Amino acid sequence: MTCERPQELFSAYLEGTLDPALRRAVEDHLASCAECAALLATLRKVDEAVAGWPELEPSPALLARLNAIPTARKKFRLVPDIILRPSLQPLFAGAALLLVFVSFLFLAPQGRSFQKAVNRQVHLGWSEAERIYAKAGSITDRLGEYKNNLLGSLRTLNILKKSEAEK
Amino acid sequence: MNAYAKRVLNLAYQFSGSYQEAEDQTQEIFLKLYGALPKFDFQRNFTAWLLTLARNHLIDEYRRTKWERTQRDDFDERTTAGPLAGNPQETLEREENRRLVWDSLNSLSADMRMAVILRDLQGRSYEEMAEVLNLPLGTVKSRVNRARLALARVVAEKRGGQP
Repeated sequence: MTCERPQELFSAYLEGTLDPALRRAVEDHLASCAECAALLATLRKVDEAVAGWPELEPSPALLARLNAIPTARKKFRLVPDIILRPSLQPLFAGAALLLVFVSFLFLAPQGRSFQKAVNRQVHLGWSEAERIYAKAGSITDRLGEYKNNLLGSLRTLNILKKSEAEK
Repeated sequence: MNAYAKRVLNLAYQFSGSYQEAEDQTQEIFLKLYGALPKFDFQRNFTAWLLTLARNHLIDEYRRTKWERTQRDDFDERTTAGPLAGNPQETLEREENRRLVWDSLNSLSADMRMAVILRDLQGRSYEEMAEVLNLPLGTVKSRVNRARLALARVVAEKRGGQP
């Protein structure tokens, strides 16, 4: 075993979280490598030194400055807090996406050709709709003619029936 | 408020090594905190969120101003305020080791220094560190291990011995 692999396991070894097989492998290596054994001994010393590391207390002057921050901020608030609420973020994200799409359409060269293609498609679609509308109009006219013919025929038939009945 | 101020001040002091710098950075971090509070997601752990903000600010400032060129405060100037336990010989040895660790922290890169501070000096769990550093758990563990090895090598070098 080279030194690199056991050294990767030193923290877990010192914290006692290594599984027994790896632990044995590390110990076997330590027994045969003085350099790694010395490094581990230094790691132990460092570990002991940092345990219960002393902490500083903030000075009253610092606490006073920190406590004064909210008041100072209120005076210079540029953006109302309501705008920064997380619940509005999807709305802003949607608006940003829309703006990106619009700027792509109007500003980017590829966007312009895309816009042309869209215009062409819209124009074609519109012409098709007009054609269908015109066809529908002619069908309506024809149906009207059929209706008038049918009514005329029925009237003629009624007149014939009446004249036969009078005879 | 005082508990959070203490946490941020200690992180800033351990990272920068300068008390004056730590007070200034704590104030700037709290300014950012008040600015970012409306964006805080209440589903998240507040302490982890605050430490993430502090960590990002400290590393950004470190990269911008390069504190590594500045000298760290003397170790016993502010950090020996805690009670001393054990026999005088052990106490003396532990204080000497602490001084060596303190003086060696600036030899680590910003990310490694932050890892060793959060884990060993501040006693954060690996899971909490993963949340603060926004990294997978395995990456955090391996970074802490590499940081400890680097720190041990510097400490050994300062002692005049070979690691």
